[in-house]
Amino acid sequence: MGLDFSIFIDYGPRLLLGFWLTIKIVVLALLLGLPLGVIMALGRRSRLRTIRFAATAYVELFRNTPFMIQVFLIYYVLPFYGIRLPAEQVGVLALAAFGSAYFAEVIRAGIEAVPKGQFESARSIGMTDAQAMKNIILPQTLPIILPPLGNQTLSLVKESAILSTITVQEMTMTAIRVQGETFRPFEAFIFIALLYWALNETIATGLRAWERRLARRGKRPANASASVMGRLKGSMGR
Amino acid sequence: MTRSFLELSQLTTRFGDTLALDNVSLNVTQGEVVCLIGPSGCGKSTLLRSVNWLQPPDAGSVWLDNRPVGQIPETGGKRAHWRNPDLARQRAKMGMVFQNFNVWPHLSVLENIVRAQMVVLKRPRAEAETRARALLDEVGLGDRADYWPDDLSGGQKQRVAIARSLAMDPVLMLLDEPTSALDPELVSDVLGVLKTLAQRGMTMLIVTHELGFAAQVADRIVFMESGRIVEMGPPADLLEAPTTDRLRRFLDQLSTLNPFADAPHAPSAVATGA
Repeated sequence: MGLDFSIFIDYGPRLLLGFWLTIKIVVLALLLGLPLGVIMALGRRSRLRTIRFAATAYVELFRNTPFMIQVFLIYYVLPFYGIRLPAEQVGVLALAAFGSAYFAEVIRAGIEAVPKGQFESARSIGMTDAQAMKNIILPQTLPIILPPLGNQTLSLVKESAILSTITVQEMTMTAIRVQGETFRPFEAFIFIALLYWALNETIATGLRAWERRLARRGKRPANASASVMGRLKGSMGR
Repeated sequence: MTRSFLELSQLTTRFGDTLALDNVSLNVTQGEVVCLIGPSGCGKSTLLRSVNWLQPPDAGSVWLDNRPVGQIPETGGKRAHWRNPDLARQRAKMGMVFQNFNVWPHLSVLENIVRAQMVVLKRPRAEAETRARALLDEVGLGDRADYWPDDLSGGQKQRVAIARSLAMDPVLMLLDEPTSALDPELVSDVLGVLKTLAQRGMTMLIVTHELGFAAQVADRIVFMESGRIVEMGPPADLLEAPTTDRLRRFLDQLSTLNPFADAPHAPSAVATGA
């Protein structure tokens, strides 16, 4: 069976449109899921038992059930409560919720890896717990959590294919449609497989460069901005 | 009721079955330098860490400058713990220096000293940087402002930590074995900075094993054992004429470790190859 290259030309634009939606969904899910992950990580360390319990329940629920079932639950159950959202938005919410549970565990482990003396020096100098977390602890977790957060991001890209099951017109859904119209499954799926690979390879390469920058930091003169967001902005601008 | 500048009252702390602090009370006047000595596990570090509530005691109270730290003692033995911001405000008045420095490795030397000034005292950056550079000059690190802490020696890190505390304009300095983690040749730089600080009238509470330093700098030495204050007094009295057997034994043990100390047991220790 030879490749029918005309499929790429005729249906390429449609598949690329699906690719674009996949990227948008993953980016939005990250923007939502990462802060949620930080909140859940801090929640699991709260002094208040209720908050600790709620955060733990959230993390365990989303970590221990199949992503497809989570998507179905959100998509088919929310309307019963009068919440009708477009499939794309449900997709973003589900992906963010799923991702944040894993992000929370990674961030929590990162916080616990920061030596206790760092909390103590921050508190003893007069910072509140929140100020210490923001200025001293979370920035130090960054080099620790970056590799596992990166892995999690790669798997979010792949999990987003599941959203085809609730009619989100992302890349996988588009490919299914294309092969239905052309009866050429190989062309349709090899095309999107390459796109998934290219996207994840790009993300992985970018993250490796960022990790190297963080590791090199000890050898260069310092610059002033050092909050997590400051570093995020700084390295994205470069 | 007038209280001492720093008043530690009936502090008790338990770690499991052991009593780290057994009903300890201590008053410190303004400008006084007090050195805490004693065998390891005697509670001296726990006492120091109770002062700024880093290790909240199970019972007792701490007053600094006529204001309570950490909690307000209530009638009927109940204690109301402070809200975090109130505790933070009291802690900001006390500088703390740790055995292993605890400088912040993700911030430059300058930023280590600038950050808390901006976050806690809300000083503008320009003012905070001016203060930080002046303090770095004072501790002899004026040319290290743009270094990363990881590129400094232990003695330099400790001086950064001291400058970081001083930038907050503390009324009291707490030092927890500030030279114990340093290579011997780096100890004198740090002790020099602390001596200057003492001469300027800073109130200090210092946990230390450097008896020579304590003798020079302290107005009073406090000897602790098993969670209690066993003996205290001016260095001359305490080190040369200890009144308790326990202190005498402790001083003898220290001098056997140092063959050059002019203590009665030192020569024999050298002779036996100890």
